[in-house]
Amino acid sequence: MAINSAGVEYEAVPEPYAETENSVDNRKDVSDRLLRIHNVISNRFWQFAALTGLMFVLGIIGFVLRLASGFDDKDVWGYYVAVFAFLMTTTSAAPMVAIAPRIVNAHWRRPISRAAELWTLAGCLNLILYIPLIWLLPSLENGRRSLWFYGHQASKNEFWTGFESVPAYSPHIWATLAIISLVVLGLALVWISCLPDFAVLRDQGSGWRKKWGERLSLGWIGTSGQWNWQYHRMGVISAFYFMMLIFVHFFISVEFLMVHVPGWIDSLYPITHAHNALQAGVATVMLTIFCLRQFGGYKDYIGLDQFWGLGKLLLALSLLWFWFWFSSFNLFWYAKKPSELSLLELLISGPYMWMFIAEFLLVFIIPWFSMIWNPVRRSVWGPPLIAVSVLIGTLLDRIRLYVASWDAASRDFASMLEMEMSEVPDKILAPGITDIFLIVGFIGGSIFIFMMASRLIPVMNIWEQKEFLLYKAEVQYHRAKVLVLGKPR
Amino acid sequence: MAKKSVLGLYTEEDSAADALDNLRDAGFEEGEYELLTGTPYPEGTFGEAEPEHHLFRWPLIGAACGFTGGLIITAGTQMAYPLITGGKPILSIPPMAIIMYEGTMLGAIIFTIIGILFESRLPRLFMGAYSEKITEGHIGVTVTTEEGRTEVAEEALKKAGVEGEIIRGWE
Repeated sequence: MAINSAGVEYEAVPEPYAETENSVDNRKDVSDRLLRIHNVISNRFWQFAALTGLMFVLGIIGFVLRLASGFDDKDVWGYYVAVFAFLMTTTSAAPMVAIAPRIVNAHWRRPISRAAELWTLAGCLNLILYIPLIWLLPSLENGRRSLWFYGHQASKNEFWTGFESVPAYSPHIWATLAIISLVVLGLALVWISCLPDFAVLRDQGSGWRKKWGERLSLGWIGTSGQWNWQYHRMGVISAFYFMMLIFVHFFISVEFLMVHVPGWIDSLYPITHAHNALQAGVATVMLTIFCLRQFGGYKDYIGLDQFWGLGKLLLALSLLWFWFWFSSFNLFWYAKKPSELSLLELLISGPYMWMFIAEFLLVFIIPWFSMIWNPVRRSVWGPPLIAVSVLIGTLLDRIRLYVASWDAASRDFASMLEMEMSEVPDKILAPGITDIFLIVGFIGGSIFIFMMASRLIPVMNIWEQKEFLLYKAEVQYHRAKVLVLGKPR
Repeated sequence: MAKKSVLGLYTEEDSAADALDNLRDAGFEEGEYELLTGTPYPEGTFGEAEPEHHLFRWPLIGAACGFTGGLIITAGTQMAYPLITGGKPILSIPPMAIIMYEGTMLGAIIFTIIGILFESRLPRLFMGAYSEKITEGHIGVTVTTEEGRTEVAEEALKKAGVEGEIIRGWE
């Protein structure tokens, strides 16, 4: 028996332990190599940053033009809401790739967790995009179905609520609070995760990075208490981020989509929307790590393990896509109420049919038929190609649903009350120049924010890489050498 | 009396663990010494006591407040404006659950963020004895104590095979 510093007896393990690569030289080597890659900025980086920056400027022009068009014509806002929903589906969901494998202690996530977390910074852009939507969303007085209790009855004054009547802007209030919470959680997650790496920049960095490292590390010195605090707090914040992400998608899909189409009643769709986000989030990170490997200098760190791990997730989520879609479709198909037939015509068999077919191929058929083959799934090039397919399909999905819904919403006020579409649009609303600016601009803007953030924040998690040295050992197993991976706690 | 801190750097985990043993033998209390590392070692690697944290207190209190707020808002408005919807009772759980869930989440999140800022003890304005070698990979053992006892601490740190000189700083 041995005694620790608190005077508590514990059982000392007498067996020899596996020799790991953990040594002071190796730990220093990890910091040095990653900082060296972090400090190098290639011409290609600045060329791509300039391109995405230019796209972002176009997005800002589109944003201003769209605001100038006013909020009366709901249909012209369809593409705007679609871009917002697409970014919430991709960039806001990407951090889940860091959160979920970290919770289950999967070592393969170590080189990619920071890249996934950094996408939360693009959430600030989503928040800016969201602000005009508060004015666009009609009050509950238009008679649409809603999650929210609303009526024209006067209070009986038996219970004072502080309002003259029930607020007709409940969706606006609660959705705003939910989205702000998600963005704040994302920023908190990145900051807590980066604290030890900011300390590395403070101690080992130079120039403006050293100064920012000093400011942002807030005196982090790496005591046992600080590490313990960081580990547990990251766990709590991660869990809340996941819960809030699902909830935000619940709001977006209900308040900005379903309730504007008379007759669209589907309790499964909000979670379908959230599932789409998880699928697109994995695809976003897949593409990000591919770029980091090919162009960012991280070839030695991001390898087959990462693409394989994410590829399996992407395959499972693509199969689930069909399950969710088919469950909803089946219900409408067999119920065959006039309102549901109108809905199927609007979203699937009518003007948006070809868009739906393309999306079906890109989001489900292509990932399914390609990822079941080992040579594709277990490769560096296969999963990123599938990720591109999924992302394009998801963009088409968001355009199909949101543009069609806001088109329908702008047509007939009476149909809202009758719960049935009196007129199904017969053609797709073609995007105008403002819409193209918005789509290109805000997708480019998100990438631009990610790239700029990666200049300060190491895109590879340095402390997690050093921690990996503690748990990795190559040992002789009979006549073979095998890699033994430990679990931290 | 003013407090002073001293820091010994080690390259091996066992040496750092020995330094902690020496400090304990020399009569230093838990809380007077700390381990500094650039990597999160598993708890107990150096034979140190597990740090205490009040992890669940903040989110739980926040969640309880948020849940109560959500319950009051939903039940209150429905009692004040009793509209029967779809033949369901005035106080129906499914629609109330949405607001109560968000209230619970918001309360838990707000309290967690406040808790994080409070518990982190950051910013740490006086870092005491510190070396940039910690983030390079060295393991540090720092002792913060009254000025008169620093020599005893230095002796205990040296006995464990400290690398280089003892680093001194004010707390």
